[in-house]
Amino acid sequence: MKSEHQIIKAVYEAKEDPRKADDLIQAYIPFIRSETSKYLSRLSTEQDDEYSIAMIAFYEAIMGYEKGRGAFLGYAALLIRSRLIDYGRKEARHQGHISLEEEMGGEDGRTLMDTLADEHDYYGEFAHREATRQEIQELAAVMESFGVSFSDVADNCPKQERTLSACAKVIRCGVENRELLHELLRTRKLPLSQLAALSGVERKTLERHRKYILAMLLIQTNGYECIRGHLYAVLKKGGRVS
Amino acid sequence: MKYLVMECHTAYAVVLSDDGRFLKVANMRYEVGQTVTHVVEMVLPQTDPKKQTRRRWIPAVASMAACLVLVLGGFFMNHMPYASVYMAINPEVRIDVSRTDRVLEITGVNADGLALLEGYEPDSRDLDLVMDALVDRAIHMGYLHEGGNITLTLDANHKWVTSHETALNDHLERYLEDKISVTIDIVSQRQTQSQPAQNISDGQTAVIPVEPESDYGDSDYDSATESGDSDYDASPDSGFGVDGDSGYDEADSNYADAADPDSSDSDYGDSAYDAAAEDDNSGNGNSAGRESDSGYEEPEQDDDSDSEDDD
Repeated sequence: MKSEHQIIKAVYEAKEDPRKADDLIQAYIPFIRSETSKYLSRLSTEQDDEYSIAMIAFYEAIMGYEKGRGAFLGYAALLIRSRLIDYGRKEARHQGHISLEEEMGGEDGRTLMDTLADEHDYYGEFAHREATRQEIQELAAVMESFGVSFSDVADNCPKQERTLSACAKVIRCGVENRELLHELLRTRKLPLSQLAALSGVERKTLERHRKYILAMLLIQTNGYECIRGHLYAVLKKGGRVS
Repeated sequence: MKYLVMECHTAYAVVLSDDGRFLKVANMRYEVGQTVTHVVEMVLPQTDPKKQTRRRWIPAVASMAACLVLVLGGFFMNHMPYASVYMAINPEVRIDVSRTDRVLEITGVNADGLALLEGYEPDSRDLDLVMDALVDRAIHMGYLHEGGNITLTLDANHKWVTSHETALNDHLERYLEDKISVTIDIVSQRQTQSQPAQNISDGQTAVIPVEPESDYGDSDYDSATESGDSDYDASPDSGFGVDGDSGYDEADSNYADAADPDSSDSDYGDSAYDAAAEDDNSGNGNSAGRESDSGYEEPEQDDDSDSEDDD
């Protein structure tokens, strides 16, 4: 009973703080693995997709748990099982397809993958990924100085298509008016009223998604070419509209 | 759709989709900077907490409102005057009751009523019990006697009156059954109202000492409003005057006839005359003759006057 209370306390703390959530998940990895094993009817490894699904299901359980929903671990177990079943159904459509990892049946243990001609530019891809990683780390550091993490941005991200396009409009305004971006970096304040006036989007909408807009505008500042290249579609759409 | 992995946690990864969304997805051994094409998005099972709290408020507020209505309703049922019962023995009191027959106020309508209520504090708020207590007090204070009369005037709407008429009557009769026998009249509605009711009580004060109930025929009751007292005073006076005078006059004539001749005294005179004649016939005793002379002259004078008239 006492331990149950401690869990609930830890869960409520984890809801607020992503680091504490990570710690809690780390502490309950054996539980998550055991639940995955129960579903798979075999010992699960970290390489299983099901294990990853179980992990995020546990995180969902943390974020979605309320005191009225009964004991936390029972709730988490239920959620993990439901998510694994959902995932299993989704994956069922791939049945009948041969995995590339499947062994050919030869004596040397070669897989199907090995027989295919590889046209990937591994070195180029690795270099790009490395550059992107560095950009992301820099961006994370800048965002940190604004007191915002990627987790916060993900929570704050607009979900409705209409809101998303409204926010995209605001971001395009920022791109078109570079002085606003400079002002943002200089004053460390989001020029919401000017953005609202320029884009014609309601200030309330901007207020509600201020973290998301901040992250997106920071990406538009100098030095994040890889990420901007990834977001090319968003900006291009804007060009078409204007 | 392509997703750029931005941040990796133990259980989840934050990815940026190429349409500009930041998403939390299952971390399938991702690395920061990696671009993936297929993710398993995190789905929050909770409903909007704001919505839930609002929903939780509504029944609370609604139930409180309902309770308030019930309490107020109860208050109005119990504390607002709904009907009045005028109880007239001679002391007349007005008992205000609520819809649930709870006694709210008792007021004396006439002086005796006020006297009856003086120092009375009802133990119970039940109409029946209060009426019992008041009747007991009336008996105790000497207002209600054997063969007395209680008039209950019910002032309320028709429904209440019909439902309580017999019930009140029965209750009082049962209560007084083994104590004292009285007549209970139930007058429904306001047709009599306060004015006639007061007259009843006035009338009763006057009637009770003389002749309980009997004299109060309908005629007197009707005329009471117009000339109550004078009418009443006249009848006994005249009665006494006529009967009494005649009686006394007769007695006087009996004694004083010898000196004063009267037409009505003829009988006595005759008898005296007869007696004198007898005396004469006996022919003895002058004294007797003298005594009878005076009596004798009278008939003579009478005779003379008669003869003169004849002449």
